[in-house]
Parts: sequence; structure tokens; C-alpha cells
Amino acid sequence: MTAAKQWSSEAIEAVLAAQGIPLAPGRAEKIATALNAATVSGTLCLELESDPSGYARALERCKAK
Amino acid sequence: MSDPATLSLAAAAQALRARHVSSRELAEACLARISRWQPRINAFISVEQQPADEGVPLAHKDMFYRKGRVSNCGSKIRRGWIAQETSTALSRLDAAAMPQIGTLNMAEFAYGPTGRNEHWGDCRNPWNPDYIAGGSSSGSGAAVAARLAFGALGSDTGGSVRIPAAACGVTGLKTTWGRVSRHGAMPLSHSLDTIGPLARSAEDCALILAAIAGFDPQDPLSSREPAGNYSLAKRKFRVALSSDWIERHAEPEVAAAALAAARDLGATLVEVEPPEFDTLSAHCITVMQAEASAQHARWMRERPGDYSSAVRSRLESGFAVPAAAYLEVLRLRAAWLERFCTATLANADLYLLPAMKVRVPTLEQTGPRGGAGMPALLAEVTRLTRWVNYLGVPALVVPCGFDSLGLPIGLQLVGRPFAEAALLAAGHAFQCETDWHCRAPAERSI
Repeated sequence: MTAAKQWSSEAIEAVLAAQGIPLAPGRAEKIATALNAATVSGTLCLELESDPSGYARALERCKAK
Repeated sequence: MSDPATLSLAAAAQALRARHVSSRELAEACLARISRWQPRINAFISVEQQPADEGVPLAHKDMFYRKGRVSNCGSKIRRGWIAQETSTALSRLDAAAMPQIGTLNMAEFAYGPTGRNEHWGDCRNPWNPDYIAGGSSSGSGAAVAARLAFGALGSDTGGSVRIPAAACGVTGLKTTWGRVSRHGAMPLSHSLDTIGPLARSAEDCALILAAIAGFDPQDPLSSREPAGNYSLAKRKFRVALSSDWIERHAEPEVAAAALAAARDLGATLVEVEPPEFDTLSAHCITVMQAEASAQHARWMRERPGDYSSAVRSRLESGFAVPAAAYLEVLRLRAAWLERFCTATLANADLYLLPAMKVRVPTLEQTGPRGGAGMPALLAEVTRLTRWVNYLGVPALVVPCGFDSLGLPIGLQLVGRPFAEAALLAAGHAFQCETDWHCRAPAERSI
């Protein structure tokens, strides 16, 4: 289990500013709230060897017979 | 013949072959209806007033490029942009005698589920213009429902074919990721984007899909899996569903219509635990936000004020998605797909659920005056569609009833990868036993 995420509006402002993205007024706090609420891995665990290309093979394995 | 525009695509093609009607008569019938309906629903962006090509006319979301023609992509930024090439999907429809009669309204850059559009005007629901048409393929749903075209292409990244199909009472197919070439179609999120038809029946969707499906060397991510013939042959299906979940989470009228439709399918029903909709939806959002924001990075730096505030907000969020989180979600995708196919579909061919868990909302509820509940309502609209895009599997939406206010309710069937033939056959079997798909909004209400 990972620790709770701690995005703040200041962190969001800094992350977007570093990428050259101007942020509309009042948006940083909303984005921080949404990021803190988002789950990432759910209930699945992966092997170290898993990478995104495994999806193409899964489509093939799972297709309708 | 009464109004030939009210024929299905299959019937119009048959009438054309039998010389009971001409291509010109079909096009003129559509044009006459467009002139009557357009002021009310704002489904079209451009109309070919004198279509020259032979065949049954379709119209398409304004994001499929045609060489020398404008594709505005529902935006201010691309207003008047002229395409340098023709999309593979349009080329294949041209070759199959399904000419284009116009371009259709859509959400700005296909990034919104309602059909609201502050640059081109909101597309409205033909059953009641106070209600959303659904998005992002809003014009595709509205035009097909009002019988202004015999079918339409849409794109589906998080529900953008299925939501307007459900809201407008037409049939819509979200294809397997890679089933239809995306060459020459505006990208939003390359890991999720799919192209599919909206039409008046599963049979009509099958005709359009047969024309556009298949590998395309110009889209290296398109699949080499052979395209089916989508014959709609009658067969026995086993359909999984989660009745308790539907009854507990969907609005009562939606739940009642979906569960009644399950009984009308004529399939063997199998009760299963529901997929983890919310986790999978969250994964879809992570991928969509990261990829869409990367796609729009230059314009977001140079002209952010030319986006609507809603789309700008969504794009801003994507710049805060950590790269590791994005890649972790993509790494997990294969495992989630296998879980769906081996657990949810262990003893079934298809999974059944409503297209939307809520009834069709009003335009006001989903706009700036929607109040504090507006974001939650938008999340409910897409709650049962986004998970499908994350898995990349196909899904068919068919109309299955109307709520007490007269707005359509959509049933969603989800299949394994490349199970489009099974979905269309199941939808066709349902439509042979019911007449929801034959109902059209009344012209007297214009």
C-alpha cells in the first residue's frame, strides 16, 4: 500500500509553470484535489517484466474465438 | 414512396439497387429534412447542397479529414483549417457508395461528453432540444436520430459514440482499439481513440463497419485481424450482467429499461460480479488526460485563451499527470483486459449494462449554470463507458426504451476484443424483437 498523495495547489502551479503552461485562475486547487483522489494500481500487481507492449499481446490472447 | 429519408440504410441501399429510388432522391430527401431540423438542433456544420456521388448519403463528425476541405474539429483554433489528405475511413466509405452529405457538430476537439460547444453552438437533442445530444459525437447522434443522414461516423475515446447514441435513441458501435484505421482522423488520445458508426440499427452499423474495418498501412496501429463479414446470423448468446449493481446504482427508469431489455434479448443470462468500473475509469482518465495534453501542448502554451474554459481545464489537468503514473496505468492494461475476459466473461459471450446510469440531462444541468452538482453529473454520464475504452474492447449501444420525460434510454453490450460480429448479431436479434430503434422524434415538434 502506498502512502497518501500530497499534491498541493502550489505544487500544481509549479509543475505547470515548469512546462510553460499558463494556468487559469482557481484551477490549481481543483487539479490537486483530483490528483490526490485518483487511484493508480487498483487491486492488481504486476511482474517487473510487464511493460505497455503487453497490451497488444493481451488483445490477441483475449480475442473472440 | 413516402419520405425516403426515413428508410434504414439497408433498406435505402436495397431500394437503390432495385431502382425504386435514385441517389439524387435520397440526397434531396435528406437535404429537405436538414433544412427543417437544423435551426432546432444545430447538428450540421456544413452541408453539400448538390452532392454528386452515387449512393446512400452519410454525414460525419467534423474531424474526419477530406483533402481540400475544411475540418474545424469543433474548435476555434482549427476554424477553417483545410485538410491535406483524406481519412482512410472516408475513402473506404466513398468506395462503398456511401457518399458524404455534410459535416457534423461535435464537442471541441472531441473532449467533452455533452455536445455543448461554445464555438459552434450547442448541438441539441432532437427528442427535446432542452436536453443534451450527448458527446462528443453530438451531431452524429442527433442527425441520425432526426433522419437527416442514413448513418454517421463518430469517434469514441471515453464514450463519444455510445453516449450520443444512447441520448438520441440510435445504435452506436465503439470498435475494438485498432479495428478501424485512424489515419486522417483528428487524434485525442492515441491509446484510447477508436472510430465507429452511429446508425438507425445494428444492421446499418454492420454495413458501415464492413466498409471501414481492416488493416491500413497508413495507420501502423491498426489491426491485421481479418475484418468479419458481420452477417448478423442468428445464434445463441450467453450474456453476463450484474442485476443487483444495476438496480442499486442506475436511476430506476434506466435500470428497469436495461433489465427488461436483458430479458428481451433471448439470450441465456449469467449473473456476475461487475467489473471495477471506477478503477478502470480512473485509469482511462489518466491515459486520456496525459495523451490529450501532450497532443495540445503547443496550443496550450501559445493560445490557451482560444479553448473553451471546460476544455482548457481538462487539458490543464493532463500536464499534472506524473509520467510514471501514466506508464503504470498502461502497464496494467493487459492484466485488466485479461481479468475482464477470464472472469467477467468466463461463462458468457457479452456483458450487458446501461450505456448511462442516469437519464439524459438537460443542457442547463451540464453547463455553467448547472451549479455545484455539475461535475458529478458529468462523471455519472461517462461512468459506464470509459472503462470500456481503457480495456480497448468493443461495445454496442442500442435504444431500449424511453424515460417518463420522453428521452431515450440506451442498452450497452460489451464484448471481447474483435467481437464486433457477435455484438452486431446480438443487437440485430434484439431489434428483430423490439421496435425502439424504429422510433424517431416527431417533426411536428420542430
